[in-house]
Amino acid sequence: MRKSLRGAVTTVSLLTLLSTTSAFAASDADIEAIRKEIQQMRQSYEGRIAELEAKLVNVENKQESQAKEDDKPAIMSSGRRIFDNDFNPSIGVIMNGKFTSFSENTSQIKGFGIGEEGERVKEGISLGESELNLSANVDDKFYGHITAAFVQEGGEDKVEVEEAFVRTTGGGLLPRGLTAKAGRAFWTLGYLNEHHSHYDDFGDRPLPYRAFLNKTFNDDGLELSYVLPTDLYTEIGGGVFRGDDFPGGTANGEGAGSYSAFARLGGDIGDNQSWRVGASWLGSESKGRSTNEGTVNFIGDTDLYIADLRYTWSPTGNSKQQELMLQGEYFLRNEDGTYADTGAGTGLVNFDDSSSGWYAQSVYKFKQQWRVGYRYTRLDAPDVPTGLIGSALDSKGHDPYINSAMIDWTNSEFSRLRFQYNRDNVVANQTDNQFMLQYIISIGAHGAHKF
Amino acid sequence: MKNFSIVILLMGLLFAAPSQAFAAFNIFACEPEWGSLAKEIGGDKVKVKNATSAFQNPHNIRARPGLIAAMRKSDLVFCSGGGLEIAWLPILLQKSGSADVQYGNVGYFMASDFVKRLEIPEKIDRAMGDVHPEGNPHIHTNPHNISKVAKELANRLQKLDAGNADYYRQNFDSFMTRWNGAIKRWEKMAEPLKGVPIIVQHGSWAYLVDWLGLRRIGTLEPKPGVPPTVSHLESVLNKVRTYAFFTH
Repeated sequence: MRKSLRGAVTTVSLLTLLSTTSAFAASDADIEAIRKEIQQMRQSYEGRIAELEAKLVNVENKQESQAKEDDKPAIMSSGRRIFDNDFNPSIGVIMNGKFTSFSENTSQIKGFGIGEEGERVKEGISLGESELNLSANVDDKFYGHITAAFVQEGGEDKVEVEEAFVRTTGGGLLPRGLTAKAGRAFWTLGYLNEHHSHYDDFGDRPLPYRAFLNKTFNDDGLELSYVLPTDLYTEIGGGVFRGDDFPGGTANGEGAGSYSAFARLGGDIGDNQSWRVGASWLGSESKGRSTNEGTVNFIGDTDLYIADLRYTWSPTGNSKQQELMLQGEYFLRNEDGTYADTGAGTGLVNFDDSSSGWYAQSVYKFKQQWRVGYRYTRLDAPDVPTGLIGSALDSKGHDPYINSAMIDWTNSEFSRLRFQYNRDNVVANQTDNQFMLQYIISIGAHGAHKF
Repeated sequence: MKNFSIVILLMGLLFAAPSQAFAAFNIFACEPEWGSLAKEIGGDKVKVKNATSAFQNPHNIRARPGLIAAMRKSDLVFCSGGGLEIAWLPILLQKSGSADVQYGNVGYFMASDFVKRLEIPEKIDRAMGDVHPEGNPHIHTNPHNISKVAKELANRLQKLDAGNADYYRQNFDSFMTRWNGAIKRWEKMAEPLKGVPIIVQHGSWAYLVDWLGLRRIGTLEPKPGVPPTVSHLESVLNKVRTYAFFTH
């Protein structure tokens, strides 16, 4: 076909030339000149045609190789350049700043030994907690994660290791469904404990977390969990811990100080509803749990039993657009040991009693970026032994409670602004009106969230 | 201490218990499209669990308890990949996936790894919205992509469940005969659509647009995953008005 194309073009050009020149009476010299001209034109045309042919071949080749590539079933990652930072861990930063304003000067919970993290948050403008997260697969069997928190304590900026753990990868080292985690982590306990606070639906933790766990339990230890091969989601597990973190304290490292066990059950109702219930236990032998700014000390055994429930319903099936979340937890604490309040000069007083606390909350996402929420939380104080009357552990018959309401705006998965109002009745005959404005910003890598 | 030994004992008992025998080969499909394809090729030899419904946006579901339980039993994880399920699939895999369904193994099958991906961004910034660094993962809207994915699915089923290899091959051949016929029919029907200007809601239609030679002139979402504002919608409307095609 290409040959005939060349022939046709040459013939046509010759014919045109001949037809235009034949009208003149031509001399030999003229004819010779014309011949030369034709020769030149012919060469020029042939050159151009050859060029076009080369281009055509080029295009055809390209199409063929494209077709070959399309048929290729292999992964299309060929030609990817490997950089020496490809194996760097994922890096994520969370900034969680607050502006708070309170109507009362103090709001100290009485009747419980309250740790530093369990106290009312700082008033005014504060950076809150900023987190730096680094994580990566170590190899095919292990995954490592570290969370460093930058906090301000006593007017000084400090770095705290909130989490630093190694965990087995899914199906890597251990049988399917079994996971081991060692180091320091927000351990599996109740609902909120394993979540970072930036993921919470309210700007502060509910009362039982503040009073019974000093906000969160992240002792050094080892935890095993196992997902059972059942149709209903069933997970059980337990852990051993050093015993330094609240409700433990002053562990001497001889054996473990705290133990945990948990069981969870959950499932879906259709595509749009999910539920989960859980029960957890945390037992600690404390050799000295110091609270209330170092004035109160507890030595003895603490058993904490937690029941948790969470239910979500997204009317459209898409939780990003519309969702209702109900959540609640109940805590029961048994303590057997001695309390001492140096501030009140009580000396060692035997203590064997139980206290409890709970919260229930509802958060409704009514529009894609807007959520409103309400939470009620309460503590039920233990009876006061005679020796502790008048001390920080004397509730004077008042059970602390707080009503909270919040509204937040989520621009993207990576930024959220929240306004919260707490009507705080933690102290008898006092209502502390607390206003909180909070921003939560996530930059860099941000791992998937648990249910 | 005593309490803890009880926990250990209980866990030991659970491991000793014989694991349930599964007659069927379990497939965990992230989207219903892949669930349907798995049923076509797998027939009655497989049991398919769809993680999302057709009404759900697969980007943003939760790592629900029911999904952890389903993953616990799955022999093949069949998803779009390309970052579409990144908000929830990694948790499920970590929590209850077997070694065979983890990244890089035969049981970990990401469909978009087997087709030519469109819209791989040259630069990534979150100011661009929820972009996928791996390219557009919504590959199922071009039936030629389905052919490639079906072929690879049949390969993997034959490898993972060798006892039924012939059955899967037959199902694949039968599916491809019907599918190729359907593609011919669709392409004929869609001929008049070539060059037609369209507005899409989300970038998920890129492969359909590419297949049928449509001309995408606008997107309702200003940026992927970011809901449209009134002013953005107005600008889209104004753009539409400049096309004679829409005004007739």
